Amino acid sequence: MPVAASAIYFLNLRGDVLINRLYRDDVGGNMVDAFRTHIMQTKELGVCPVRQIGGCSFFYMRISNVYIVIVVSSNANVACAFKFVVEAVALFKSYFGGSFDEDAIRNNFVLIYELLDEIMDFGYPQNLSPEILKLYITQEGVRSPFSSKPTDKPVPNATLQVTGAVGWRREGLVYKKNEVFLDIVESVNLLMSSKGSVLRCDVTGKILMKCFLSGMPDLKLGLNDKIGLEKESQLKSRPTKSGKTIELDDVTFHQCVNLTRFNSEKTVSFVPPDGEFELMKYRITEGVNLPFRVLPTIKELGRTRMEVNVKVKSVFGAKMFALGVVIKVPVPKQTAKTSFQVTSGRAKYNASIDCLVWKIRKFPGQTEPTMSAEVELISTMTEKKSWTRPPIQMEFQVPMFTASGLRVRFLKVWEKSGYNTVEWVRYITKAGSYEIRC
Amino acid sequence: MAPPAQSYKSPSPSQPSGKGEVSDLKLQLRQLAGSRAPGTDDSKRDLFKKVISYMTVGIDVSSLFSEMVMCSATSDIVLKKMCYLYVGNYAKGNPDLALLTINFLQKDCRDEDPMIRGLALRSLCSLRVANLVEYLVGPLGLGLKDSNGYVRMVAAIGALKLYHISAATCVDADFPSMLKSLMLHDSDSQVVANCLSALQEIWSLEASSSEEASKEREALLSKPVIYYLLNRFKDFNEWAQCLVLDLVSKYVPSDSNDIFDIMNLLEDRLQHANGAVVLATVKVFLHMTLSMTDVHQQVYERIKAPLLTLVSSGSQEQSYALLSHLHLLVMRAPMLFSSDYKHFYCQYNEPSYVKKLKLDMLTAVANENNTYEIVTELCEYVANVDVAIARESVRAVGKIALQQYDVNAIVDRLLQFLEMEKGYVTAEALVLVKDLLRKYPQWSQDCIAVVGNISSRNVQEPKAKAALIWMLGEYCQDMADAPYVLENLIENWDDEHSAEVRLHLLTAVLKCFLKRPPETQKALGAALAAGLSDSHQAVSVFTDTQNSEIKDRIFDEFNSLSVVYQKPSYMFTDKEHRGPFEFSEETGGLSVGVESVENIAQRVDANDNDLLLGTSEEEEIRGPSPDGSAYSAPAYDAASISLTSSHTQSEPVISNSSLPTYSAQTSLAIDDLLGLSLSSSTTSVPSPPFLKLNAKAVIDPGTFQRKWGQLPIALTQECSISPQGAAALTSPQVLLRHMQGQSIHCIASGGQAPNFKFFFFAQNAEASASFFLVECIINTSSSKVQIKVKADDQSTSDAFWNLFQSALSRFGSP
Repeated sequence: MPVAASAIYFLNLRGDVLINRLYRDDVGGNMVDAFRTHIMQTKELGVCPVRQIGGCSFFYMRISNVYIVIVVSSNANVACAFKFVVEAVALFKSYFGGSFDEDAIRNNFVLIYELLDEIMDFGYPQNLSPEILKLYITQEGVRSPFSSKPTDKPVPNATLQVTGAVGWRREGLVYKKNEVFLDIVESVNLLMSSKGSVLRCDVTGKILMKCFLSGMPDLKLGLNDKIGLEKESQLKSRPTKSGKTIELDDVTFHQCVNLTRFNSEKTVSFVPPDGEFELMKYRITEGVNLPFRVLPTIKELGRTRMEVNVKVKSVFGAKMFALGVVIKVPVPKQTAKTSFQVTSGRAKYNASIDCLVWKIRKFPGQTEPTMSAEVELISTMTEKKSWTRPPIQMEFQVPMFTASGLRVRFLKVWEKSGYNTVEWVRYITKAGSYEIRC
Repeated sequence: MAPPAQSYKSPSPSQPSGKGEVSDLKLQLRQLAGSRAPGTDDSKRDLFKKVISYMTVGIDVSSLFSEMVMCSATSDIVLKKMCYLYVGNYAKGNPDLALLTINFLQKDCRDEDPMIRGLALRSLCSLRVANLVEYLVGPLGLGLKDSNGYVRMVAAIGALKLYHISAATCVDADFPSMLKSLMLHDSDSQVVANCLSALQEIWSLEASSSEEASKEREALLSKPVIYYLLNRFKDFNEWAQCLVLDLVSKYVPSDSNDIFDIMNLLEDRLQHANGAVVLATVKVFLHMTLSMTDVHQQVYERIKAPLLTLVSSGSQEQSYALLSHLHLLVMRAPMLFSSDYKHFYCQYNEPSYVKKLKLDMLTAVANENNTYEIVTELCEYVANVDVAIARESVRAVGKIALQQYDVNAIVDRLLQFLEMEKGYVTAEALVLVKDLLRKYPQWSQDCIAVVGNISSRNVQEPKAKAALIWMLGEYCQDMADAPYVLENLIENWDDEHSAEVRLHLLTAVLKCFLKRPPETQKALGAALAAGLSDSHQAVSVFTDTQNSEIKDRIFDEFNSLSVVYQKPSYMFTDKEHRGPFEFSEETGGLSVGVESVENIAQRVDANDNDLLLGTSEEEEIRGPSPDGSAYSAPAYDAASISLTSSHTQSEPVISNSSLPTYSAQTSLAIDDLLGLSLSSSTTSVPSPPFLKLNAKAVIDPGTFQRKWGQLPIALTQECSISPQGAAALTSPQVLLRHMQGQSIHCIASGGQAPNFKFFFFAQNAEASASFFLVECIINTSSSKVQIKVKADDQSTSDAFWNLFQSALSRFGSP
């Protein structure tokens, strides 16, 4: 049986129950106490997200300041259970308008009860699609004042639509202005050795869409990925245009994408859900353009001094710029005094994370600012432990740049009424885990 | 839904201080109950919300039950929902009051609005009050035939709920066959999915008692049903797809065309955004192709990319769940993943449970081509802040070294670890260098030079110390000060508590004596004297081996908790959830109906012991050989003989007919075996005649007393429980639960530590009139148990005694 969850609990960080729902009688009511005493109040908390206590297994995850715990008594499907929690949280968020935390739960408990009743029955996941649930759910979430208001009331007698061919979209949507927003968001993961060679590097990307389209539109998306382009040139029997093509290692799609058509024609075609959703996810390991190169030199001068020099090169186009660049250079715990010289941005010592933190708000392409720092250490006689250098970590966002080189070639919208649509496409590359050993 | 046990203490304006607020609410609800004034619904909503919020934070508002029910006579759906929630929460604790709600719930089940019908039906089935089941049958029957999909969907699960409250009512009302026809004909895919969930549960639980049900269970896996579900596959939502995929993975295809048809149909599921769907598809592919080696390999290739993507996306928890599965696959076929090793590199901030799995996989995929990179990467982790991971990394390097790839470079690395001056790294590295030297004696020169520089004072961990001492003994001619270091260690014999270290010390001194007699003579004398007067019992530690059968079992249960725990499900799920039918099928003819983890573990241990005994026996015949076994040096025999002779004198060796031929040397190992506690030898005795106990046996106290008075004593026995068991027995309930898991039930118990008394009973599953009655007196301080058994059928009492004893002996084992 896929999940058959016996109970689900929402706890705050102190272990108080915010809300709970018992789906089955096969676990006792004291389960949450077991969780508190055996997991929350011990060091076990960070050890493993799946734990067995007594005859029951606990799956738990922390989301902002809330623990969500699923209790099962059978040999359940873990992946399914975690996915369920993630989807449920996304659903709650869409109702509360963005944030999911202790306060949001307290302010919306009736709604959460209502949702928990519909999304899971007797421990079996039911329908989690927000579009369908809108038909059943009577409560409106308490939204933060900044989020947009719910647009329309649910269609009164719409239960019949549940079984329609397009489960994720309601019929009869009308928008004055038909708009599609498409964001390609990539995060680059890098692990570089102290000698400057790339140990591991990959890009995980997702395409996020926001659709405000009337009726039942059919969308088709073309990317500059290798397989898609080759297939197209095959079909049109003309050679591929020169230019960069991207080899995607692996792709996964939202359930709205017609996978059969993707496999035969290699085109991404779909009837989108209304509003915001994640169209696809992909992973690339070959031919990644790293936006930044980091060249650190760290010298330990005797036992009480260190010299840190870090040069960061931006290797994207000169017209582009990165935002929110943060470089964290770890230093030993016994750091006493630091002095900096930077050619750009600001640097300071942050004792709580034992790092020199160098921030550059706006970082243009094709530049190479440097930071040099002198670090004085408290000399310790007792601890002779050599310092193991943790890696330098970097955070950034580069708009209009994709580390994979992926581009949208076209986005076509067909609807039988033949309206015009406005399409907006954005690109952004963020740092995933960007680590440079030194 | 039980109200949260702990009341919420944070200061909030709406927080009631005590009973005042509740009685206030009661009054206001009463006023509104009869009112028909406009706007009443809005004020009711506010009041209901307040009630629900009190309920949520753990304040008992059950006293408002009748007022809430009175107010629920409304057409407002929001109010109704809150009222259902309230009723569902308190009905179980107040069955009498729950009766009040039946009326209005039944009425709502006939409402015009399908949503209200569905909601009311769901609430009705969720009341979980046993004496109200008669009221469920009618509405459920109508619900299953409702014209609206939402109601049918709720009714399908409702039938399952009814089954759990009262199985007989559900079966008598013929709901299973109604569910089946709905599953095969309904137009709504969610109804189909819910029927499938319900039927799977009902029929596997029924299968134990009814042949028909077990046939029905088989029928779910028949070709027509599977194909029917697969043809409708695209209609199902992602969760229902998981459900169907799980069913398909159990289906046995008729021929290879069948397999390829299904795989072609499902291949696009590997691209699904929901990791659970992907994993379920992977399971289908893997299980379908088990018999076709080539295709099976191709499947691995095909599923690699999607799995790697899933692992690197999503939350830590999700990726852990997936990584556990990837881990299993990598362990099964490391060769296929050898070029993907970079995916298993750890990130600095990853939690250690993820790192641990990745280290395992890195070790497994090492081969000629990637060893250098992998070892280099592992060495980075040795400097990790996380001590457990650092240790694990050293061990991983050692494991790779023992696989013979590029040993040269690895030895250098290990020696560097020795010089890192971190206690735990040195300790781990010493153990590895020792293992390495056993396998590759040719590296001794390089290693000894470094090992010689390590002061034995800085090595505290017994294993590492033992390794160092072993090397001191083995290579004493290359280390100038070996005899003196050993002498020093012997002087501190009494401070050394580890038996392993002591044994190694004796061996090493003897070895040293044979090579450098004048320098070692004094030390040897002291060592032998110390060893002879040693009252410790040597217990060596066995490595936990996972036998391949267990691994296969885990693979069968792919996409479940088993993979995460790395144990088959029967080792951790509650026995009561499974019917005896399933047991006998799974344990495959094992005589004892209930096989527990400990039993298996002990069996594995016993096997290991056999191996150990076997090799040491051989050695004795062949004479000592320079490498291979742990205790190989010639000097060892003398030492162990002297040691064991002291053993045999100081304590009676329990003679066991199966082990008569072992020499004095091997009796050490026998001691180990017996040292595991008596129970291990009792569980490995030849299987008793077949006897299965009824897991749901019932007897009333009067009958028990009468039988106890009438029947003669069939058996009187004394035995002992394991020390762990004695320690765990803090209250009678602990043992009760344990024995219940073995289908032996308790009718009365009492006493306080250290003396407990129990009356147990059990029923022969084959002959319902045949009961076994047991009186059991346990003294936890002496671990002694006195048992009297009485039986209706005297001929089976021996078989029962075996069952009972093995059940008891497993008590308290981890």
